[in-house]
Amino acid sequence: MDFLLEGFKALADNPKMIAMWIIGGILIYLAIKKDMEPALLLPMGFGAILVNLPLSPVIGDPANGEHLGIITSLFQVGIEASEAMPLLLFIGIGCMIDFGPLLTNPKLFILGGAAQLGIFVTIILAAMIGFPLNDAASIGIIGAADGPTAILVAMQLASKYVGPIMVVAYSYMALVPIVQPAVIKLCTTKKERMIRMKYSAKQVTPLMRILFPIIVTIVSGLIAPDSLSLVGMLMFGNLLRECGVLKSLSETAQTTFSNIITLLLGITISFQMQADAFLTVETLIIMALGLFAFVFDTIGGVMCAKLINLFSKEKINPMLGAAGISAFPMASRVVAKMGTKEDPGNHLLMHAVGANVSGQIASAIVGGLIIGILGPFCGL
Amino acid sequence: MLNFLMAAFDNLTPMNWDVLKPALNFLWQGMLAIFVVIGLIIISVKITSYAIAAANESKKRKEEETQNNNDNQ
Repeated sequence: MDFLLEGFKALADNPKMIAMWIIGGILIYLAIKKDMEPALLLPMGFGAILVNLPLSPVIGDPANGEHLGIITSLFQVGIEASEAMPLLLFIGIGCMIDFGPLLTNPKLFILGGAAQLGIFVTIILAAMIGFPLNDAASIGIIGAADGPTAILVAMQLASKYVGPIMVVAYSYMALVPIVQPAVIKLCTTKKERMIRMKYSAKQVTPLMRILFPIIVTIVSGLIAPDSLSLVGMLMFGNLLRECGVLKSLSETAQTTFSNIITLLLGITISFQMQADAFLTVETLIIMALGLFAFVFDTIGGVMCAKLINLFSKEKINPMLGAAGISAFPMASRVVAKMGTKEDPGNHLLMHAVGANVSGQIASAIVGGLIIGILGPFCGL
Repeated sequence: MLNFLMAAFDNLTPMNWDVLKPALNFLWQGMLAIFVVIGLIIISVKITSYAIAAANESKKRKEEETQNNNDNQ
């Protein structure tokens, strides 16, 4: 009858697992009760409990003489081998994005670029605190506000903190409506927030919509080859949407395909949430640095918009800079809501969407740039 | 509790100012690179839009000429 007590004995040897059950429970609560990124936080939360049960076969490792566990297998194939899951998810994301508002006003692209400032500032801070460069870069990429990018960069730079980085990246994406308004108000005056922008519903030709993903892929691939996996998948998805002859594939990519990958990704990420690796002081520091990255992303975008206003006759509402982070579509909704709150006649949604989708592309490019620039310094 | 935190923080070194300069280099290189890519994409989009608009304009003129020729006949 001793076999019935093996689990409890193993739990007594490693009581940190109980803390991970609580963390898993919190993630599940946030997903269900608070509706915070439920598609990811719920599988991650449940997975955290699953992988932290004693003698759990789901994380069995043949290297330890165990049978290969399902979550180990999913992690090895779906993330470790070639980061397949986050990259495939990007196809679905590309299918969902309409670049029309950005193509109507390509200047908004600049805001997408500026809103990645927080990534680099966080890398500096993390490195100064004492994280090795590869870990500092992986922590900084939380500021990309993009889960697949964060996973890809953390895996390619062989970071030790993949689990906390993934959890923090996805959790903070859901906190955008709370974090951003406060930062925007700190960086702007009421007069600036009330700047109205004209929106001309200029039709973008179907040919332009088809050529755009091809152009972006070629330009990004030539200048930042390491970003090609992310940008390529994103643009492939967008081309599926815009070509007009693959409606069923596009619909499948946006719905069923994305849902399957999201479901598997959430539970696979939990492989990195084993108590020994997750419950460290570094995890708490990563949470703080992640918040720092988001704050500086917002500051970077807003300040860039204000800088453009110094030289431009047609003023940009500086809040659009905050929409330049990659948290799509939340960041654009937050900015649009703040715009109408300050001035009920000020409709910023289409401009904000333009900035937001540019942030999607910019964050993918920055992910590749970080791998390209820092990879050699990290000995990779 | 304080002793636990202090012991835990021993794993991380105090602020390392030596990495500031190389890290700032990464910052300007990274931000410059992203704006170079974005700039090239904007230029490519503008050129492509212009080329498409010019092609459409030329096609429209040819169609009008053909229409006028048909009317004259």
